Amino acid sequence: MFRPAPRASGYLHTGYGEDIALLQTRTERASLAVFAILLAVFPFLASPFALDLACQVFLASVGALSLMLLTGYAGQISLGHAGLIAAGAFTTGILAREISAPFWITLPASALTGIVLGFIFGLPSLRLRGLYLAVSTLALHFVVIYLGGEYETKRGFSTGIVVDPPRFAGMKLTDGRAWYFVLLAAAVVSLLICVNLLRSRSGRAWQALHVRETVAEALGISVARYKLLAFVISSSMTSVAGCLFAYYRGFVSIEAFDLFLSIQYVAMIIVGGMGSLLGALLGAAFITVFPYLIEALLRLLPNVQKLAGEIFAVNYAAFGLVMILFLIFEPLGLVGIWHRLQNYFLLWPFRYKPLAGARK
Amino acid sequence: MTRLHHPLPAEEEGDRSCSTSGIALQLVVNIIVLGSIYALIACGYVLIYRVSRVLNLAHGELMMLGAYLLLATASLFNGHPAIALAAAVLLSLLAGALVYVFLMRKMTGEMVLAAILTTVALGILIRGAVLLIWSAQQQYPAQALGVANPSFSLFGGARISFWSAVLVAITIAVYGALFGFLRFGRWGMRMRAAGQNPLLAAQRGINLHGVYALAWCLSTLTGAFAGILMALDSGLTSSMPIIGLKAFPAALVGGLDSLAGALAGALIVAGAEVLLIYYVDPLLSDVVPFLVLIAMLVVRPWGLFGTREELDRV
Amino acid sequence: MTALLQVDKIEVVYKRAITAVQGVTLSVAERQIVAVLGTNGAGKTTTLRAISGFLGIDDARVTEGTITFKGTRIDNGLPHDIAARGIVLVPEREKVFPNLTVAENLAAPVPRAGSSSERHRLNERTYHFFPRLADLRSRTAGLLSGGERQMLAIGAALMCNPQLLLVDELSLGLAPVVVQDLTRRLTAIRNELGIAVLLVEQSAAAALEISDYAYVMENGRIVLDGDRERLKSHQDVQEFYLGQAGGERRSYRDVKQYRRSRRWYG
Repeated sequence: MFRPAPRASGYLHTGYGEDIALLQTRTERASLAVFAILLAVFPFLASPFALDLACQVFLASVGALSLMLLTGYAGQISLGHAGLIAAGAFTTGILAREISAPFWITLPASALTGIVLGFIFGLPSLRLRGLYLAVSTLALHFVVIYLGGEYETKRGFSTGIVVDPPRFAGMKLTDGRAWYFVLLAAAVVSLLICVNLLRSRSGRAWQALHVRETVAEALGISVARYKLLAFVISSSMTSVAGCLFAYYRGFVSIEAFDLFLSIQYVAMIIVGGMGSLLGALLGAAFITVFPYLIEALLRLLPNVQKLAGEIFAVNYAAFGLVMILFLIFEPLGLVGIWHRLQNYFLLWPFRYKPLAGARK
Repeated sequence: MTRLHHPLPAEEEGDRSCSTSGIALQLVVNIIVLGSIYALIACGYVLIYRVSRVLNLAHGELMMLGAYLLLATASLFNGHPAIALAAAVLLSLLAGALVYVFLMRKMTGEMVLAAILTTVALGILIRGAVLLIWSAQQQYPAQALGVANPSFSLFGGARISFWSAVLVAITIAVYGALFGFLRFGRWGMRMRAAGQNPLLAAQRGINLHGVYALAWCLSTLTGAFAGILMALDSGLTSSMPIIGLKAFPAALVGGLDSLAGALAGALIVAGAEVLLIYYVDPLLSDVVPFLVLIAMLVVRPWGLFGTREELDRV
Repeated sequence: MTALLQVDKIEVVYKRAITAVQGVTLSVAERQIVAVLGTNGAGKTTTLRAISGFLGIDDARVTEGTITFKGTRIDNGLPHDIAARGIVLVPEREKVFPNLTVAENLAAPVPRAGSSSERHRLNERTYHFFPRLADLRSRTAGLLSGGERQMLAIGAALMCNPQLLLVDELSLGLAPVVVQDLTRRLTAIRNELGIAVLLVEQSAAAALEISDYAYVMENGRIVLDGDRERLKSHQDVQEFYLGQAGGERRSYRDVKQYRRSRRWYG
């Protein structure tokens, strides 16, 4: 699960700087440059619909990365992700509504809410593992949702809270292209944070305690501390994603944060491929685009009229089906497919590596 | 969701008997009814978990499927409610077997988390399919069957509806049958053996796939009972799976691998819910089971009657 | 005499990457007790699992060679199918159902096809060989002592009415006097019921006492085989498995000799 990507040979490092650089081969740097140019140019070529789609993908990426950090690397299963996004969104909404707080207060406030909630969500992980931990996160999710619902009814926002767009130096952030770059920046920052965390002591500690807790503890890694750290960092990132979500949508309502949203995020990291940040990004893109794909497919069918009204149900069924297919046939996710492709080209014209020490 | 009668009786001319004992009695009746619902659903979770260590999070949806199947058979066997009921139950049994043979069998041997997520995905798939076939509007299988649901007065002024009473009776019967089967039946013993040590069971010639399929069939059967009876009592919507999810803490509180625990847990959760709704806030209804769950996880994660090693197994 | 079980040059690979057992050939004839000796990690348990069909659990496969039982190939078969054919495994760990009573442990196994009606007779037969179990009928299996547990494990295996018994590490964790008792009962089972036994053992002395033929495994290969007398008198087996160094004291300066004298065939 944690195997490194294949590296080119012939690159000799003569200093620490080169050794720990993120991009180590010319091909990697070149392809990243090309990708960056494509990303920068995209908003000027794309329709508003595609722009919105891209924004949604970036927004989902932040949440997917944080969940991948928690579940894919540190191995702490969390089914309460939607509750954390809701917490961030509601913090933003409440502060914006009650005291008209600007975004540079609501954003850190959301992060703070995430930290506190992360601590609470993480406490069960000190005693529980696996299934029981997942169940405890599920229970806490429902508690958060209940509290959000209570706030809505008690304060009269039964249809939801309207959030004004944030202001930058007097300018309101409403333009689609501007949002694109803001959310792209958010996704990139999240990615960099995750990459660097994983290369640091915390990342190694998480991977160790994922594989074998007792051995990690015996090696001097404070398992309790790192588990809580994983929850706290992941939750604060998720809450920030919730804050961005509130501003982007302009509207916060508790119904948007149901269990299905949690499942969607879990699906993102599974479909993408557990234990890989690339997987989180691929999964986020796939799951976000998926409903639109289904809708487009539906339009190609002859009796569109009958099913068009049921698009919600079709989405549900298709989502379940795709998730099942991935779990049965491709447990390593999209990243697994990607690695297989890579291997195919790397090993070509051979088909597979021979057994080590085979006497043939 | 169920027709629990509100403790304050309807105002009758010249007779305002709002005695505290009358209220208390109604609350007790409500707890018994809700507890029976949770218990009937919870034993489905316990059966599958105990035998194969898989948490079937699609149980609520399968339960709902049973109720919708009743709708279908009701229109098919118009005028013969008994046949329609029997057909619906049989179809649900078949559904459980099919789910195991075509889906869950492929997940044996994989990570437990993967199996659980597969059930989640299955639940979502079923929900979508049900919405597609039957639409989201409220249905009334009782009307379709042509049966009524009168309310009865029990002693002390408490009221209970007909199908709720049937549900309580069936829950007791189901639990009695399951206890007997697991303790004394040949396949029941094989199920217990497979649950404790699947490898050894296979080495002793026990067909694991058969045992697992049986567990799934029994679980879907009891779930179908619950779904059908609830639908007959108070109608059917596509949000029935929520009750399935609320019954899950009942199973966990009692201990995921203990039938007796499921019964105890169901009564505890139902008690907490009914009392808190009445005395504190009706909105608490959906969150109370999970509050009880959190409390249990803090104090005694393996539940009241569960085996302790369950904790470290996963 | 055709062999009851014939394992022919099998290779077992874990996770398509790690070869655990290579070129292993062994056979068990009817009414024979065959021992497989070797230290930890020699591949003995893997071989047993390959025979009894339990490799799939660890993502392992028999990638080469064949395993034949009474003329039919059984490599990579399903465990309960193989049990139905008449091969039953008594595993090393987790050999009983801890929360069931002794009687329930003996009632759970599924006898070989055609024998389900003889369940009572099989039960009596088990109690005949292990009278102690009859006294412990209603005791929960998890509370039994090590020796009693091993007796229950073998007894439950007998309930399947096998033709070949695979026993993994009979003596592990048991006192020598208990081991002696168990091995004597095993021989009695072979003598009275005609059941062949394939015994995997670290304790060579105990195994060589009762076996007719033995194989020695090291690093996934068979390095020596022969009947009891040959193995017992083989110098290397004496030195490395039976602890008989031949009298004089050895010092670490002789390590080179130690390595050199471990020369096996093949």
